[in-house]
Amino acid sequence: MTVKIEVIAGGIPHTKIMVGGIIASLVCLYLSYLNVVTGTEMFSFFGGLAVVAALIWGSNTIKVLCSYGIGTGVPSAGMIAFGSGVIAMLLATKFGIAAPIVALVLAAVVGLILGYLSNEVLNMKIPAMVQSLTELAVVGAFTLMGFAVLMTGGFTFAALTAGSVTIMGLSLPSYQVSFIGGSLIATAFMLGALAIQHPFNACLGPGWTQDRMLMLTAECGFLSMFVAAVMSFALITTGSALISLVLALIGWGYTYMKYIGLSKRDAASWLDAKPIPDVEGH
Amino acid sequence: MTAVAAKPAAGGAMNPTAMAVGVVLLIVILGICWKVSPGLGLMALIGMVVGGVLIGFGTHFVPVGGAPAAMGQAPGIATGVAMLAAGAGLAGLFGGAWAAEQGLVVAVVTGAVGGGLMMAITCMMVNFIYVFGMGIPAASGKVKVDPITGDTQPEFKSQGTEGHGLPFVSFVGGVIGGLLAGGGGTLIYLMLLDLYKATLPTLMKATEAQIMPVAISAAGIFAVGMFLVNAVLTAYNITGTIEGPHDPKFKRWPRAVVASAVASALCGLAAILIVVV
Repeated sequence: MTVKIEVIAGGIPHTKIMVGGIIASLVCLYLSYLNVVTGTEMFSFFGGLAVVAALIWGSNTIKVLCSYGIGTGVPSAGMIAFGSGVIAMLLATKFGIAAPIVALVLAAVVGLILGYLSNEVLNMKIPAMVQSLTELAVVGAFTLMGFAVLMTGGFTFAALTAGSVTIMGLSLPSYQVSFIGGSLIATAFMLGALAIQHPFNACLGPGWTQDRMLMLTAECGFLSMFVAAVMSFALITTGSALISLVLALIGWGYTYMKYIGLSKRDAASWLDAKPIPDVEGH
Repeated sequence: MTAVAAKPAAGGAMNPTAMAVGVVLLIVILGICWKVSPGLGLMALIGMVVGGVLIGFGTHFVPVGGAPAAMGQAPGIATGVAMLAAGAGLAGLFGGAWAAEQGLVVAVVTGAVGGGLMMAITCMMVNFIYVFGMGIPAASGKVKVDPITGDTQPEFKSQGTEGHGLPFVSFVGGVIGGLLAGGGGTLIYLMLLDLYKATLPTLMKATEAQIMPVAISAAGIFAVGMFLVNAVLTAYNITGTIEGPHDPKFKRWPRAVVASAVASALCGLAAILIVVV
């Protein structure tokens, strides 16, 4: 686990989660640079961990924003996060090794302007709007960059657009077998958008607890990471993809069990009904 | 925790200072684009701004009901603005993308028809379900008579609701919204595709045929991203539900046009910088 979720009375303060999310995502994205240093693709799974860290942060941001009752539904917040995030992330990939930092700055600028537009021009007047949209844009950019690292092993524009196909033992360059050229980015977009908007949408209400929502986010994140790891078989070596796949499965299984446990804790009562009840008299 | 800390005070009022700042911001972004890429880039950016404004304006026509509509307590299609606009606009975008090789006008019209068709089918099926599935007639809560057909509305409206079903004017509004949003989305895609087709071969040192997958995919994902940004900003403008062009909330459109123009210019600039820097 990259981010530890603990119960504190009233939940962890949002700033703490935000700082933790930024640091964890950045560190994970940069750890994937070990791929270049060691000349392998074994460290691609750090991209998936960055995704989970960013999603946990983003889910709490959505909670902060949507507590004001913006009237457009929780999914819209996830959509604008990734809509603005994808733009910042793609431009940032041009900056080579600095890409994650540039993505952070660019996404923050895009989010800041979008927040200003919604709050002032559109007259929303929500106190948390500007900060939330700024954070969400960064979350969107980090999540997509994490998926890109998970699937291709790199975060530079060249790594995302160029792949290679092996025909009869000959390795030929191909732009179709790549993260952007193969439109895997569209799948990553939706995987991330669903994972970020679902947890608060599912957990909101008077019985909302922070640790349960964040655990569900981690579960959704690992589930998305699993799907992305399956897709990564096309772009990176089988061994490296297997590492991501196994890690995603372990993470998903662990967070799923924890989430069920937290749901039982928060439920008024719990009846372990079987899918098909045993009929008496058999 | 408090589920509703404070309700937003989003009214119909305009904020002149913010609108002016928005226009200045738009000019600044256009200026930056003119500086870095005077010919091709600026033309593409202007096309994207027009496309974004079409999306933002068009979304106001779409009858969005939200959760109350799902319970038959408000007129409109029972989902959020972002989902509806994405559904209609992306249907149009994909339609227009198929016709990209036929030229700008044909492709944009195809995209508009795709979006309009998607909304027409959605509106019709929504009314089928309202009338035959839920057993409720179509009645507007905002106007006394339907502005197009002249049918009276209050007799059919149940007490305690804001109207229900999908009156004819909302249906027409939905189709117009689909046309505008689908056309706008396609315009953004085409502008980016032309730009990438022209610049990526030299940038990546490959032939045009080789980079086509990258150009199409990058233009597509940028168009989707810009589409969602514009749709959600419009959703924020109408704060949830709108009945269609006859709804008083429709008068808020100038705010959305300014916001969409600035947002599209900003996102478009990022999309252009990726190939010119």
